[in-house]
Amino acid sequence: MMNTLRWWSGILVAFFLLFLMRLFLPLPFSNEIIIFSIYVMGCSFLLGRVGFISFGQPAYLATGAYATAFYLFYFGTNPYVGILIGIVAGLAMTLIIGPLFVRLRSDYFALVNLALAVIIFYMMQKVLAPITQGDNGLWFLTNMTATPILDITRPKEFFIFAFLVCLAVWALYKYLNDTLYGAVALASKVNEDKVQFLGYSNFKIRFMGFIIANVTTALAGSLYAIYLGFVSPEMTSAHRAADPVVVTILGGVGTLYGPLVGSVAFTGMKDLIAGLIGNWELFIGFLLVFIMLAGERGIWGSLEPRLKALFARKNA
Amino acid sequence: MDTQLLISGVIFGLSIGSIYFLTAIGLSLCFGLMRIISLDQLFYYAIGAYITYAISVYTGSMWLGALGGLVVAALCAFAVERFIFLRIYERDIAFTMITSFGILIGGVGIIKAIWGLVPRPVMMPVMTQWTILGTEIPVYRLIVVVIAALVYAGIWLFLNRTITGKAIRAGIESVEHVEGLGINVYRLFTITFILAGTLSGLAGGLHAPLIMVDPQMGLEVMPFIFMVVIIGGLGSIKGTLISALLVGQVVSIGSLIYAPLAQMAPFAIMLLILLIKPTGLFGSTMLKR
Repeated sequence: MMNTLRWWSGILVAFFLLFLMRLFLPLPFSNEIIIFSIYVMGCSFLLGRVGFISFGQPAYLATGAYATAFYLFYFGTNPYVGILIGIVAGLAMTLIIGPLFVRLRSDYFALVNLALAVIIFYMMQKVLAPITQGDNGLWFLTNMTATPILDITRPKEFFIFAFLVCLAVWALYKYLNDTLYGAVALASKVNEDKVQFLGYSNFKIRFMGFIIANVTTALAGSLYAIYLGFVSPEMTSAHRAADPVVVTILGGVGTLYGPLVGSVAFTGMKDLIAGLIGNWELFIGFLLVFIMLAGERGIWGSLEPRLKALFARKNA
Repeated sequence: MDTQLLISGVIFGLSIGSIYFLTAIGLSLCFGLMRIISLDQLFYYAIGAYITYAISVYTGSMWLGALGGLVVAALCAFAVERFIFLRIYERDIAFTMITSFGILIGGVGIIKAIWGLVPRPVMMPVMTQWTILGTEIPVYRLIVVVIAALVYAGIWLFLNRTITGKAIRAGIESVEHVEGLGINVYRLFTITFILAGTLSGLAGGLHAPLIMVDPQMGLEVMPFIFMVVIIGGLGSIKGTLISALLVGQVVSIGSLIYAPLAQMAPFAIMLLILLIKPTGLFGSTMLKR
């Protein structure tokens, strides 16, 4: 019982703080943070645990979002089913291209993923324009019907739903970090040859990690689609390809709460900077370079050891 | 298909392939010697194009502009190498890649701050058209191809005939051995990086009259440069040349057959080649040192 409580305590404290923020900050901001942190979590897992950097996460975000949008625009009305379809689409996409991509070295992997994001952008914007309506995007806010118990078509109740989903995602990732799989994945990041000598398949480890990360990203995509009520090719454009990587680094690579802290900081800065000077690229570019030069540990990565030291002193 | 259309398509493909080659060679060289993925080459490409625009508006000569663009790109590359890359050569390849992406995005921000968001046209310096086999060919495109060929020959001579070039080639094989011979490898790194940035700037300057210059142009051409580098294999100059010409032709001929094919076909080819050979056509199997 004590162990269970201790296991959950970190997550519960983090999400209690997140819930407190909801009381002080406007609703769209909170929703944005929640969805964005789920999006970043996939990228962070890929970079921190499996050791693969991917500039192509928007591709999987768009996969989930467009799958949800297609369902809600053309076929059905139930947003929950839409989210389910988004997840399945992300899984299917990864199962098709995963074996191709995962064999590649980590540098090629990043470039190929970015290329995929650009291709999906062109597909949604031009090639499939009759279905996706090109740059205009698909609008389906009015197509969604209200659902019983938790009506996620309304932003207020959507927040509760997204909050619970986010909590579940974090519990899953904390669990993954504790399992044998998490340990082996980390080992394969550090030294793939040794992992192979121990009898594990690097390919399987990475493929598994790729699937987990991409399904999470696709889930974030379908949450975006439901929340905004429309999708456009803009979400997969190359300019936004760096966002999840930036936030991963900003929060702290490989830490559990890094994506959460990073999303809060990033979304907050984005609103502030965009309002103040409007030249977002300039700022984010130099911020990225600065963090990399300053030691690449990020906000949570530098904060965590200090907090731990603080609590250790109290207990002693 | 119409022969005339085909000929002009091939010439178009050659010129676009030349531009890709000039930009991709920087990425490829930097990877070969320093083991960094220098995405900021696309920033030098964009700045080269913008300086070309600015000078050609001011003086009326596009060639002078291209020269200026080349010089400014070289200066930018030098500054970036000095202040940023010199500190992170030792780091993991993923981190140099993220840093260079940060420079690229920041560069887009700088260009936006100076020239604004509106795309600008650059005048074509040579308007004459030659008739080859009954097809009108713009001479400027041929000039671009010739310049790229000259650059390839120049780089070949530099790498094979000069002592610095030989040291760079040896460094691609093994930096430790070169260092052991008493050669300052960081000097080599600087030279290579500036060379790469200069060629990217030249590519931007030459490309500017064929398209409109706009702040996102580096990001727009990025997927194609990637494809060239990946298909050719990181670190190989011959591979880069071959794959640049291949991608150029695929883009050009593909767009004649079915317009959206121009963006999709190179990707399909890239996937096919990676399936057969995961390191690209001429790529090295070496990992990060």
